[in-house]
Amino acid sequence: MFLLRLALASLANRRFTALLTVFAIALSVCLLLAVERVRTEARASFANTISGTDLIVGARSGSVNLLLYSVFRIGNATNNIRWDSFEKLATHRQVDWAIPISLGDSHRGYRVMGTNEGYFDHYHYGRGQSLQLTQGERFHDLFDVVLGAEVAEALNYKLGDKIVLSHGVATVSLQQHDDKPFVVSGILARTGTPVDRTLHISLEGMEALHVDWQNGVPARGAGKVSAEQARHMDLQPKAITAAMLGLKSKIATFAVQREVNEYRGEPLLAILPGVALQELWSLMGTAEKALFVVSLFVVLTGLIGMLTAILTSLNERRREMAILRSVGARPWHVASLLVLEAFSLAAAGVVVGTALLYAGIAGAQGYVQANYGLYLPLSAPTPYEWTLLGAILAAALLMGSVPAWRAYRQSLADGLSIRL
Amino acid sequence: MRRVLLTALLLTLVSPLWAADLRTLNWQELIPKDAPPQVPQMTPMHDMSQLGDALSEGGAASLQQFPSAPVVKEMDGQQVKIPGYIVPLDVTEEGRVTEFLLVPYFGACIHVPPPPSNQIIHVTTELGVLLDALYQPFWIEGPLKVEHSSSELAEVGYQLAADKIYPYELPAN
Repeated sequence: MFLLRLALASLANRRFTALLTVFAIALSVCLLLAVERVRTEARASFANTISGTDLIVGARSGSVNLLLYSVFRIGNATNNIRWDSFEKLATHRQVDWAIPISLGDSHRGYRVMGTNEGYFDHYHYGRGQSLQLTQGERFHDLFDVVLGAEVAEALNYKLGDKIVLSHGVATVSLQQHDDKPFVVSGILARTGTPVDRTLHISLEGMEALHVDWQNGVPARGAGKVSAEQARHMDLQPKAITAAMLGLKSKIATFAVQREVNEYRGEPLLAILPGVALQELWSLMGTAEKALFVVSLFVVLTGLIGMLTAILTSLNERRREMAILRSVGARPWHVASLLVLEAFSLAAAGVVVGTALLYAGIAGAQGYVQANYGLYLPLSAPTPYEWTLLGAILAAALLMGSVPAWRAYRQSLADGLSIRL
Repeated sequence: MRRVLLTALLLTLVSPLWAADLRTLNWQELIPKDAPPQVPQMTPMHDMSQLGDALSEGGAASLQQFPSAPVVKEMDGQQVKIPGYIVPLDVTEEGRVTEFLLVPYFGACIHVPPPPSNQIIHVTTELGVLLDALYQPFWIEGPLKVEHSSSELAEVGYQLAADKIYPYELPAN
C-alpha cells in the first residue's frame, strides 16, 4: 500500500500534467461509452416498437422502406392501397385481425395517422404490451383525435383542446386544414415508441379532412365543404396507406405473404416485421462497427498520451528514483511505482469519464428524446461496458510497464549523483 | 445417506440413455411417407397473356394455395435435433430472438415459393438467440409437438420449445 501512496504523492507533485492526462483519458472513455450506449438504445427502441404483428402490407416498394414508414414514421409511402384490397385481406381465412392505417398529414412536425378502433385493441409493442390511455377515451366523434404522450407533453395539450392539422409532413406547414379543427378526446400513456409522437384520428376523419382536396389543393368558393357538411357525406375511405395483420397460425405466415405479393388486383408488398428489422440492422451494422473502431482508437490515443507524459517526465525524475533507492527501495519497487502511476491515471480517467457520461445523459436526455425519439436511460453500466472499462485499465497497465522497464534499468545504473 | 448416493449413481448411469433419446432429424423425415406428391401448378409465373386481367379493377385471385400439408403424428413429444434457418417473429430489446420459424433453406423470407407447412417449425425459446445474420443456420434441440387438425381453417404444423440453440458448423474437410 505504501507504494500506492508514494505513487500518488509523486503524481501530486506534477499535478497539472497529471490532471490533463486524466482529462484526456476521461474524454475518450466517455466517447466510447456514449457510442456504445446510443447504439444499444437505438437497437432496443427499434426492437421494442412492434410485437405480435405477423405481416405488414403496403404498396409495393421495398421491405425496409415499408417498415420504416408504416411503423417508425420515417420516410413516405410511394402509393396507397385500395380499400377493397384491404377488405380482401381482412376477410382472408387465415387472418385473425387487420388494422388499416393512413398517413400523410402532420401537426407541428408530429405525424397524423388515420386508423380504426382495432389499432388500440391489437397493436402491441415491447413484450406484448398494448396501448393504454392515461386520460380520456378513444375517438368516437368524427373529429376526435387521440394524442401520443410526447405530443401532449411537448405541445402542452389537454383533453378538449382544439387542434388544427396540417397537410404534408414538414415541421412548419404552409397548408392547414383550419376549417376542420379536431378535438382532443384522449391521451395515450408513454410507450417509448413512435406511437408517442403520433396523433391518431379515425379513417373517416382523415377522409373528411380531404373531401374538398380532390385536386391536391383546397377547394375555393362553392367547392368548399365545411365540417358540418362533411359529417353528412359518405366517408368510407377509398384507399389506405398500409395494413397490419395478425394471423390465426404463425405457420401460415409464408403462405399468406406469398398470396399478398402475388395478388393480381394491385401491386402489394407483405413483409415480416422481424425480418425487415434484421435487414435494417445489417445495413446499419457496418456503420456501427466503424464508429466503434474509431472510438477505440480515440481511447488508444488517450492512453498513448498518458504514456508520453510519463516517459517524458522520467528523465526529470531520475534524482527522485535515486533518492528512493538510497533509502532502501529495490529496483522492482521503482518499477512498480511507475506501473501504479499509470494505473492510477487510467483509473481516475475511467471514473471521471463515466461520471461525464452520466452527466451528459442527464443533461441531454430531454433534448435527444424530443428531437430523435431516442430514450437514453440513466442505468448502471452493463456487463459489456464493464468489460470495456476493464480492458482499458488492462491496456493502461501494459503501457505502464514500458516506463517501468526503463526506470528499472536506470535505477540499477544510477547512483545519487546523476550523470546526465 | 447411502440410499441417496446409490440413487444418484443409478441416475447418472441411466442419463446417457436419456440423452440417446435425442433424435437428429432431417427435413425429409417431417413429411409423412404416404403423403401424395404435391404437383405444382404448371401455370408460368410471368404469363403476360393475363396482363389485361391484372390491370382491370377486379384482378383475378392469386394462385390457389395447397391445402394444409400432412404431418407425421408419431413425432409428437420426441426430443429432436434439427438444423435450419431462423426467420425471426419476435425480438426482445437486447436483440435476442425469442420466437421464430425454422425453415430448411435461407430465402424463405423473400418472395420465392415458401416451404409447405410440414417443412416449417414454429419455435419458441425463453432465453432467445442472438441473430447476427439471417443466413446463419442453427441446430435446434427440444421436444417436438405436432398439432393435428382435420379442418380446413386450422393450420396444422410442428411446434418446438427449444432447449438448446447453437450455430451449425459445416464439418471441416
